Amino acid sequence: MEVLKEKVEEEEEAERAERGEKMMRPMEVRKEETIMTQEMLRDLERKLSEIEVSIPEKPSTFTKDAIDISKLPLSYQSNTPKEEHLLQVADNFSRQYSHLCPDRVPLFLHPVNECEVPKFVSTTIRPTLMPYPELYNWDTCAQFVSDFLSAVPLPDPLKPPSYLYSSTTVLKYQKGNCFDFSTLLCSMLIGARYDAYCVYGYGSQDLCHLDLTREVCPLTVKPKEMVKEEEKAPPKKYAVKPPRDLTSRFEQEQEIKRQEAIKAEEERRLKQEEEHLVEQESAKTDPLHGLRVHSWVLVLSGKREVPESFFIDPFTGRSYSTQDDHFLGIESLWNHKNYWVNMQDCWNCCKDLVFDLGDPVRWEYLLLGTDKPLLSLTEEEDDGMNDDDDVENLGKEDEDKSFDMPCSWVEQIEISPEAFETRCPNGKKVIQYKRAKLEKWAPYLNNNGLVCRLTTYEDLECTKTLEVKEWFQNREDMLELKHINKVTGLNIDYFKPGHPQALRVHSYTSMQPEMDRIMEFYETARVDGLIKREETPRTMTEYYQGRPDLLSYRHVNFGPRIKKLALNSAESNPRPVVKITERFFRNPAKPADEDVAERVFLILDERIQLRYHCREDRITASKREFLWRTEGDSKGNKIIMTPDMCLSFEVEPMEHTKKLLYQPEAMMKLKNEEKLSRHQAWESELEVLEILKLREEEEAAHALTISIYDTKRNEKSKEYREAMERVMHEEHLWQVEAQLDYLAPFLAQLPPGEKLTRWQAMRLKDECLSDFKQRLIDKANLIQARFEKETQELQKQQQWYQENQVTLTPEDEDLYLSYCSQAMFRIRILEQRLNRHKELAPLKYLAMEEKLYKDPRLVELLKVFV
Amino acid sequence: MNRLCNMEPRVMDDEMLKLAVGEQGPRDEAGQLAKQEGVLFKDVLSLQLDFQNILRIDSLWQFENLRKLQLDNNVIEKIEGLENLTRLVWLDLSFNNIEAIEGLDTLVNLEDLSLFNNRISKIDSLDALAKLQVLSLGNNQIGNMMNIIYLRRFKDLRTLSLSGNPVAEAEDYRTCICAYLPDLVYLDFRRIDDQKKELAEMKHQYSVDELKHRESLMQARLEDERARREELAEHEAAFVEHLSGPSLWDSMYAEDVEGSQLSHLPGVRELLQTYKDKFVIICLNIFEYGLKQQKKRKAELDTFMGCVQEAVQEKQEQGKHKIAKFEEKHLLSLSSTRDESELTNFEIKMAEYSEDITELANVLMTLEMQLVEQLEETINMFERNIIDLVGLFVENVQSLMAQCRDLENHHHEKLLEIAISTLEKIVKGELDEDLPDAVRSLFVDKDTIVNAVGASHDIHLLKIDNREDELVTKVNSWCAHLVDKIHKDEIMRNRRRVKEINQYIDHVQSELDSLECSDLLD
Repeated sequence: MEVLKEKVEEEEEAERAERGEKMMRPMEVRKEETIMTQEMLRDLERKLSEIEVSIPEKPSTFTKDAIDISKLPLSYQSNTPKEEHLLQVADNFSRQYSHLCPDRVPLFLHPVNECEVPKFVSTTIRPTLMPYPELYNWDTCAQFVSDFLSAVPLPDPLKPPSYLYSSTTVLKYQKGNCFDFSTLLCSMLIGARYDAYCVYGYGSQDLCHLDLTREVCPLTVKPKEMVKEEEKAPPKKYAVKPPRDLTSRFEQEQEIKRQEAIKAEEERRLKQEEEHLVEQESAKTDPLHGLRVHSWVLVLSGKREVPESFFIDPFTGRSYSTQDDHFLGIESLWNHKNYWVNMQDCWNCCKDLVFDLGDPVRWEYLLLGTDKPLLSLTEEEDDGMNDDDDVENLGKEDEDKSFDMPCSWVEQIEISPEAFETRCPNGKKVIQYKRAKLEKWAPYLNNNGLVCRLTTYEDLECTKTLEVKEWFQNREDMLELKHINKVTGLNIDYFKPGHPQALRVHSYTSMQPEMDRIMEFYETARVDGLIKREETPRTMTEYYQGRPDLLSYRHVNFGPRIKKLALNSAESNPRPVVKITERFFRNPAKPADEDVAERVFLILDERIQLRYHCREDRITASKREFLWRTEGDSKGNKIIMTPDMCLSFEVEPMEHTKKLLYQPEAMMKLKNEEKLSRHQAWESELEVLEILKLREEEEAAHALTISIYDTKRNEKSKEYREAMERVMHEEHLWQVEAQLDYLAPFLAQLPPGEKLTRWQAMRLKDECLSDFKQRLIDKANLIQARFEKETQELQKQQQWYQENQVTLTPEDEDLYLSYCSQAMFRIRILEQRLNRHKELAPLKYLAMEEKLYKDPRLVELLKVFV
Repeated sequence: MNRLCNMEPRVMDDEMLKLAVGEQGPRDEAGQLAKQEGVLFKDVLSLQLDFQNILRIDSLWQFENLRKLQLDNNVIEKIEGLENLTRLVWLDLSFNNIEAIEGLDTLVNLEDLSLFNNRISKIDSLDALAKLQVLSLGNNQIGNMMNIIYLRRFKDLRTLSLSGNPVAEAEDYRTCICAYLPDLVYLDFRRIDDQKKELAEMKHQYSVDELKHRESLMQARLEDERARREELAEHEAAFVEHLSGPSLWDSMYAEDVEGSQLSHLPGVRELLQTYKDKFVIICLNIFEYGLKQQKKRKAELDTFMGCVQEAVQEKQEQGKHKIAKFEEKHLLSLSSTRDESELTNFEIKMAEYSEDITELANVLMTLEMQLVEQLEETINMFERNIIDLVGLFVENVQSLMAQCRDLENHHHEKLLEIAISTLEKIVKGELDEDLPDAVRSLFVDKDTIVNAVGASHDIHLLKIDNREDELVTKVNSWCAHLVDKIHKDEIMRNRRRVKEINQYIDHVQSELDSLECSDLLD
């Protein structure tokens, strides 16, 4: 036992030495201490601590020079007794731990903070609920942390850092290593009531270096189509049997086999390619694999409806399952209440780890009596417990059982709205993914509203651009996403509702009119119910929805433009229309035979074809075709309907439709409709031109909208507010002046706008003073007069009382007495006032004189005389 | 009417109508065509026949689609011959000699009716005109204010004219009408202002409220009646009407004189009571079973109909698709063949085209034949099932009815026993109780009493048998009808489709022929 004690003591020394001088390798320290005596050790320690002062800053980009520690609160610069106690407990724990597990690396327990004060890691976590609703859920929270801070690699990739700064400092400088990241994220998640822990462990190289070049960008991954197979209704009792299949089954099988062979071949080829690529990618293996220290966040299931435990990498803000290959091992983990050391083997990364923190065999805890419930142990685990009994008892016996974690020393974490909106440091962030580059900007940073750009490449070296996606925000033209396919040259613009032309999607290859383009619209925002307009150089197809005339489709074929010498612009010289096809929805109010389904105007042939809707129980539809000759018209003859001008096929021939009588009317109507349709087509063309023009203007102007609630950016409201404030201020000033301007009545007597002469100033002063004096005297006189009046009244009453004393009733007597006491009170007050006035009046007079001498309007003129 | 008395009354005949139609028919270009071809009376929408001195309305039956008919300023004495004009919206019969409103029961779409300046003294027979909006009855002889109340049933009535009637001379004529017809907007061609309406309402509030109360009571009664009728119809559909209560039992005893006489015997009353209870329970069983079976049959029928509908729809879609494909191809080829100059090419195209037509005809017919086969199979299956279902129902009902008969037999035996013992008592003179004379007269000798009890029994059995027979025949005939109808419908459908296909193919073929002809002519 003695040996053990000694050893413990020695280790304590070592620990202290280590704390004093972090730069020294612990191995060396240990080697030395085996030879040295205790005195020498103390000496050394002293020396070392002296040396420490002269040691330069840690090799980190995040130097202490940059941190102004003088402004930090007291809790940052010193430890409370409770914290001291905690540190002792932690040291003790650490000693026993390193004694029992000598082959394991030292624990990450109390690194120094920015003021060089050792702080226990759990107290560095400051649970805070952010005031932004966006930060209430873990995914957005993690994304925010990863965006907000820029990552700094660890000074030594194989060891945890010797320092751990407070989250406030980290937030202030927007920089930090993985431990800073996870501490901040953990603070926020615990604040949002997640069961979150900081983890100290080992990660893959990609993870530690924030290297996403081997990851597929999450934005490029297409959301898996929810191919939900429709549940086949059970065949109904009376469902008809399918007609007999008379094809040869053998042939079918052969065909299937052939197809499968082709498919297999294809698959093999693909696989080979894939393998080849993988080989290429994973050519470089990491020599330090499994040794790189990393810190991340563990979220346990249970709270906030988290169904399953998962990891969050704070650098990327992405979540990983606890089985993920990137996480290679866990040393310890902690939250704001306790610290657990992993006692499980990590030979198979983190895949076999059980995150049951209540199980003391797997997780050795530092403090007893936290709120973590001890989960019930099964029999097997009990057996296991007996085997390593000493491990289980470790660190428990000599601790004060009621001791719990002190409060965090860190100030409340605060993020200003501006910083929150800017997000990334300087509002900009670039992430390189596998075959993709993601750039992010803060809103309003780019004056065209660009907030995000994703560039995907064909090759791994990112030289050949495949496509570019740009996201916009706060655009006045409601442009949301611009998708440019570099290979085909196809541009697709997506708009949010609110574009002046109700545009939803616009895909085009060039902005020139009469080219291939598709425009989609928000049909509810349009009067004509247009959903989509497709254009090719010779055709235009429009789709409609919800029109009162039930038009659903219009297809216009254009002929080649007739050349005009003078005018060549598209507006003045529309292309001739060759054919218009219009389709209609079924109008349930009409019988099917009278409800036109499709009409085709063949304008050059002077022919109109009508096709009617099919009746419900029919397979054929009625048709009618009108032909007319305009020659007859030009000669001045009246066209009379002849049977060959109207061909028709009737599903159910009826007497009355056969009569020619009704056709001229119908034909005239159709002719009018044709005119209208042509006009419509022309208008559509115009509209396309207009939209294109508008789009070009919008692209050139790219104005941004500013919410009326955005007080910072809304210039107009800001101006207004400032103006209001100014007015208020002036008003206030004026009021103050008006109250105190004793010179005003005298100044008013003088001619306005002129400068005072010295003589005038003198006179002004004298007048003012004499006036003031007069007022004081007047006041005194007034008090005097009142006093005398009151006294006389009292005397009169007394006289009256004495005269009538005998005849008075008791009531009158009472009345008199009360009057007397009141009068006496009034007289006394007046007397006091008069005395006070007499005392103060000279002082007031002097003060007035003083004031006048100092008055800015008179001071210049009176100075000479004083 | 003196203004027309110097002219001879005329009769409406075809000539007169044709003339009117021709005059009022289309003008100009269409008019010429109309003259060539003539206009069908069926297509006429509005007809004006005023100042024709018509005495009798006649020959209008052909004008099925007529919307507006003007027969004013004639000498018509009776409204008749308008039964076929069901689409009529506007009817003008003003300035005639009509004495009673009649013959308007089929004109359910009528919105505007003018009977101005006639001799009508009572408003009635307008019940069918639910959409009536304008009613003109000025210058008539309506004298009773109660006629106004009759007009309350027209919820859409907005305009009414009654001036020139004796009733309009009453002092509170306007206020009265305003109060009783609150939805009215125009009275005697004047707008009713709101203030007056309010005043009128206040004045006649009590009587109007009473009227409303009575109307609502009437309404409620009608609704009750309707609900009862619906329920009965539902039960009848299940063939178990009147079996939910003791009505069968009641009917057994309704015509049974002896039975009711015998109920006076001592002990029979209790016996009857238990018998009735048991009987009613069995009836209830039959009733519930019937409803259940009805539901089952309905579900069966629905699934069958749904499946048939689906199959037909599917085939229809296929057919449509085929035709659409054919038309697409053919339209293109036709337009190109028109321009084709070379004869050989043209002939090749034509041959191809006619081939396509034959193929289309084949395909469509094949589809139809497939459908016919499929449906036949399905229909046979359904027929079997529904017959089985009905058979089961009949069987079970019969067994329940047999229980009824057993009960009756049992009751009969007991009754006979009591009767004989009573007879014995009477013979022995031991009977204490007083019996009515009619009953006592039965107990003359054993034969009489046995006969009486037997007659009662027979009547009961007959009733039960009748009910059973009724049920069985009804359900069987329903089943037979249903199956028959399904078969017929299917045949009709098939005929229609075949006809349609043939017609279409003929049309296409004729188009081809005409193309060939025209080309040959060229």
